[in-house]
Amino acid sequence: MSQDTKLTYSRVTTDVVAMLEKPSVKWWALFMISLSFVGIGLICFIYQVYVGLGVAGYRHPVFWGTYITDFVFWVGIAHSGTLISAILYLFRARFRMSIYRIAEGMTVFAVLTAGLFPIMHLGRPWNFYWLFPYPNQREIWINFKSPLVWDVFAVSTYLTVSSLFFLIGMIPDIAAIRDKVTEKPRRIIYSILSFGWKGSNWEWLHYGRAYLYFAALATPLVLSVHSVVSWDFAMGNVPGWHTTIFAPYFVAGAIFSGLGMVITLTIPIRKIFHLEDYITLDNYDGMAKLIMFTSGIVGYAYAVEFFMAWYSSSPFEWQQFMYRAVGEYALFYWIMVICNVVIPIPLWFSKVRRNLKWLFIISIFINIGMWFERFNIIVISLSRDFDPAAWGVYKISWVEAGITAGSFAWFFMFFLIFLKTLPSVSISEIKEILPVPKRGDK
Amino acid sequence: MSKGKNGGINRRDFLKVIGVAGGTAAVTGACSGEPVEQIIPYVIPPESYIPAIPKFYSSTCRECPAGCGIILKNRDGRAIKVEGNPNSPINGGSTCARGQASLQGLYNPDRNRSPLKLNEFGRLAPTSWETGTNDLSAKINELVSQGKGSRIVYLSNSISGTLNELVDKWTNAIGAKHYTYESFSYDSIKEANSISFGIDEIPNYKIENADYVLSFGADFLETWLSPNQYARGFSKLKTVKNGKVGKFVQVEPRMSLTGASADDWVAVKPGTEVFLALGIANAIIKNGGAKKDAGLVSGMVSSYTPEKVSQLTDVPAETINQIAKDFTKFKSVALGGGVALTGTNATETLVAINILNYIAGNIGKTVDFSDTQLISNANNFKDILKLLEDMKSGGVDVLIVHGVNPVFTLPKSLNAEEAIKKVPYIVSFASFMDETTELSQLVLPDNHSVESWGDFQPTKSYVSIIQPAMRPVFNTQSVGDTLISLSKKVDSTKELINEETYYDYLRSAWKNVANYVAPNKQFDLFWNDTLRDGGVEINLPERSVELSSAVQSVKFAEPEFKGDGEYYFITYPSYKYYDGSGANKPWLQELPEGLTTSVWDSYVDMNTETAKKMGVREGSFINIQSPQGEIKTQVFTYDGIRPDTIAVAIGQGHTAYGRYAKDRGVNPLDLLPNMSDRLSGGFAFLSSKVSVSNAGKHSLLVRTQYTRTQHERGVAQAITLDQLNHPDDHHGEHHDEPDFYPPREYPNHRWAMNVDLNKCTGCGACVTACYAENNIPFVGKAQVAKRRDMSWIRIERYFDKDENGRMDTRFLPMMCQQCGNAPCEPVCPVFATYHNPEGLNGMIYNRCVGTRYCANNCTYKVRKFNWYTYKFPEPLNWQLNPDVTVRTKGIMEKCTFCVQRIKYGTDIAKDGDGIVKDGDILTACQQACPTDAIVFGDLKDTTSQVAKLSHDDRGYKVFEVINTKPGITYLKKVKWDNA
Repeated sequence: MSQDTKLTYSRVTTDVVAMLEKPSVKWWALFMISLSFVGIGLICFIYQVYVGLGVAGYRHPVFWGTYITDFVFWVGIAHSGTLISAILYLFRARFRMSIYRIAEGMTVFAVLTAGLFPIMHLGRPWNFYWLFPYPNQREIWINFKSPLVWDVFAVSTYLTVSSLFFLIGMIPDIAAIRDKVTEKPRRIIYSILSFGWKGSNWEWLHYGRAYLYFAALATPLVLSVHSVVSWDFAMGNVPGWHTTIFAPYFVAGAIFSGLGMVITLTIPIRKIFHLEDYITLDNYDGMAKLIMFTSGIVGYAYAVEFFMAWYSSSPFEWQQFMYRAVGEYALFYWIMVICNVVIPIPLWFSKVRRNLKWLFIISIFINIGMWFERFNIIVISLSRDFDPAAWGVYKISWVEAGITAGSFAWFFMFFLIFLKTLPSVSISEIKEILPVPKRGDK
Repeated sequence: MSKGKNGGINRRDFLKVIGVAGGTAAVTGACSGEPVEQIIPYVIPPESYIPAIPKFYSSTCRECPAGCGIILKNRDGRAIKVEGNPNSPINGGSTCARGQASLQGLYNPDRNRSPLKLNEFGRLAPTSWETGTNDLSAKINELVSQGKGSRIVYLSNSISGTLNELVDKWTNAIGAKHYTYESFSYDSIKEANSISFGIDEIPNYKIENADYVLSFGADFLETWLSPNQYARGFSKLKTVKNGKVGKFVQVEPRMSLTGASADDWVAVKPGTEVFLALGIANAIIKNGGAKKDAGLVSGMVSSYTPEKVSQLTDVPAETINQIAKDFTKFKSVALGGGVALTGTNATETLVAINILNYIAGNIGKTVDFSDTQLISNANNFKDILKLLEDMKSGGVDVLIVHGVNPVFTLPKSLNAEEAIKKVPYIVSFASFMDETTELSQLVLPDNHSVESWGDFQPTKSYVSIIQPAMRPVFNTQSVGDTLISLSKKVDSTKELINEETYYDYLRSAWKNVANYVAPNKQFDLFWNDTLRDGGVEINLPERSVELSSAVQSVKFAEPEFKGDGEYYFITYPSYKYYDGSGANKPWLQELPEGLTTSVWDSYVDMNTETAKKMGVREGSFINIQSPQGEIKTQVFTYDGIRPDTIAVAIGQGHTAYGRYAKDRGVNPLDLLPNMSDRLSGGFAFLSSKVSVSNAGKHSLLVRTQYTRTQHERGVAQAITLDQLNHPDDHHGEHHDEPDFYPPREYPNHRWAMNVDLNKCTGCGACVTACYAENNIPFVGKAQVAKRRDMSWIRIERYFDKDENGRMDTRFLPMMCQQCGNAPCEPVCPVFATYHNPEGLNGMIYNRCVGTRYCANNCTYKVRKFNWYTYKFPEPLNWQLNPDVTVRTKGIMEKCTFCVQRIKYGTDIAKDGDGIVKDGDILTACQQACPTDAIVFGDLKDTTSQVAKLSHDDRGYKVFEVINTKPGITYLKKVKWDNA
């Protein structure tokens, strides 16, 4: 990592604390927009609960649609946070340091968003807790064979671990902020969140260990969560779902989309908060390389799916994949292929990787492409499974669109709060890579 | 016995009467005029009543003139299900979709709930029976006293039996005229038989005795004469036995639902069936195949060589020769009918068909004149035209309308509406505010047949009883009672009828029947037996029939067509709506039409090539114009219709008739000219050439299946006779593949089903029966457009083409397969669906949270989700089956093999020896199926029919490769190969 010599210990702290100053009008504007969209989403959801799921676009035989697409999309987004903070931590990849806090925040908020959808898509959402194994008088247990139950465990575990990881990683930083802020209420809150951190050697020793172990614990979760999510589909027998490639394919896709989202989020933040000294072009270069790699895996998966469909000589499989490419949903299929495989190709050139404008545009397309990937897998497969007489085409309804928009707003709402309340750049880790201050330095 | 308020009897008195009459008589029917709000079923129950145990009453279905025997199931005072009566020689235990839906006529929210009288604001407002009957009797008294009794007209549908007698007796007494009008009256058959055999009647066609059925347009599986009876015959024809199966050839320009079940469809030029029949006769005589002396007719047919006929009819000569060969080789029958055959030369055509039947020696064997259909009672159409003329010229002062809706069912070109409007006083007995009733001054609503006493004679050999299965839902009164109370109020008929009620009158009348049928039996005993059995059979003498020389007088000619359009215009009765009377029943509206799977609307059948030429596609609106009018409807592109022909079904296009029928679809009768069959005078439905133009609009033609072909997935499989008899490999045999898991154990029962695709005609009776039995909601057109119909059974229809390019239409009823290795079960996170020890995929509504994973994972896509909480508008909800949960929003549902019936059957068995015998439990679909295509039973009982059939050579499982181990075995359709 090339070092900007201007960065010093004191400046890092000042800069990060400066980000937490009173929100500007712009922030409030963004926050209120988010809040109003959350409101729209909430109204849509209440309407749906009141009237029935019929207000969504579902139709026989497509029983899962936008909500599950959104769920998988947000779970996917949630991936790169832990990837960056845990796996890359274990691999000692230094380009993670400036962005991992943002990525972690993104992870937690994305899981919070994702977790809503399995509940919202239920026919009787008020009974959602029946999916948990809680002791009850009727001695009714849950069906551990069902991938949906696995999902409940996978997602809730992931939320727990990633939240803990997020909060523990912040302790020294929050302590630094606690020491800087003057208002009493904020001080109290930060004091609580910093768990009385004093910065002693003994504390640092234990903190370092704890962080390492958490990273080690979180690492398999990165792989497991999305594998389990993929089994929601792979365990089903629907042509287009029932395939062994799904776990690695989904994990790669999740990392791909998560990195896309990190780039989408950090580029504006970097600009607004003048973090050019922290989040460097090298950092982006590293992420872009990962995107290149995962895009390759995703592209390979698309191709292999076709190959397997053909090789299986099963009419169900082959017709399903031909349908994806040329049927009613062909537009969505090709949007997916172009966004996820073709558009990232320029990243092979370092000029593009280091050009933030291009990177930003590409990252947006990746987000779009990955949403459609999930949509295609879920909806197109269901639209044409075994029995030709049952085939039908799904159309999204305004309620689903409203809730999806609301989910983005919900995510950004949390993110905006995060930017103004918690250190979005890791003070302690940045300091780790700065030259040790000497007497006479400012 | 005290008299009820309105001339009926009190319920209490009625019960006394029934108590005397004894056991099986109905306990709930009556005809009092109390307001419905006060009726709470069984506040004081009859003594024999056990809560939750249903009672069954034999009766007769009155949805069409066929007169099928039915059994009405009464649960806690309400009729909740129609079942076929196995004792009936007509339907033998089956019903059609219309019969099943009759309960939605009974509980229809749009029924006339009380007598209505035109008030000073020009609206029909509720009134009392007293006022209503007083008004009418005053009117009649006035006319009769002026000697104008003949200016009273009683217009009814084909009401045979005692009611008909009563009507005749009364109308004669006041000097009124009684006309019997049937929308489809088969005048040409009667006339043709009169010419050919000197018998002015419609014979009984014994399809069940034939091995070869040649039908000229007769839609005998849909509406023609007695569809359920012929469906039973068809079932026999299509039974595969000893490697043999009957053959069925349908000759018609548009392949109807009946034609879709044929082995061969001959797309004859419209109206030229007459020449085809003569051509076949010619070929038979030439080949020396005639089994009767053909001397009388050989001269008539000699000029119709197959080659010449081929030019006239567009049917290849080799097809004609082939049919001629087969027709005499097998025990055969030729049928002529259907609205497609009602051209202006209909009688000639039917004479030609009679000749065919005669020379093949079918008369007396498969065409039985000793027992004739009593739909023959309907007045000739000429009389109806005369009546219209009378009305137009002001010759009718009072018109009493009973069971008919001429304003709708008569073509616009006859101006029936104007004619009826000329009548100063119109009284309607209609249950619904239909187009004719809207014009009336007084409405005295009849009971539904489920609420009335009565009888009906469908054929000469059978008289069936109509008995009430419940008290009237609304403040209505049966026509019989209305007439009796009227007769007491009209001065000249005061002494005419001794009985106080129609029930008494009916019993008196049946004393005559008893004297004839069972002279030695005590009447009460006879009466109770009849009520239990549903009717009595009358032995008829054999009748020998010979060809009359009058046949030689017939000149065969081309039909006439009016209009200079490019396309022949076929209108045909819909098997769902009949003449339109079914259109107000949501079950029928939502029943997918067999061929198109379209619901809740009209459409026009148009050949795919024609559509391409016109630049329209499926769902495009086109204008169909004739000099008489214009209709606009959506195109269904269909390879089963000739390129020069288009067709629209009769039944939709109501401008009144309740919320479900009104303003829905189009009425093709609007386009027809006033044309009649040359010889019989019957209305000629096929007499119009129309022009069509693109209306430039397109929208989705709402259907339940948008896929036409099987996409090579082998869903509905077929086998040729040749393959069946020479199995060169072991395709038919089932080898149990080794399984990773141990086989499932079923300790007591493994419920299973067989569906014979060779017998399934796609009629949809099972679908409607399922709606009725399982409280399945109807959802309306907009929701079906989103594929959210809730039917637990869907009839899949595939239009594949065989190797010769011929249409190969197949039907496959698809319902929950009750898989032994069900994909839906493991994926449910909350065990809402699970495998029960009797082999059913249980579905626990209460536990369902609605993840819908089960539906996604269902290989057969037979699970339905409650997207909303569906409404059953009062009193349609009265029909709901208390044994089946009514589902609310957010819950999955599916076919349960009628688990409530299984439960009922096993419980009954427990009271006895504990053994459930094969056939004790019938699922609703099986019970209704007119062709016995569905067989249900226990696989553990190795002697059961289902166990035997599941090892049939034709047996296969749909999508066997998925290894779901379905409980339903389908039997492959058998195709005739011409070899």
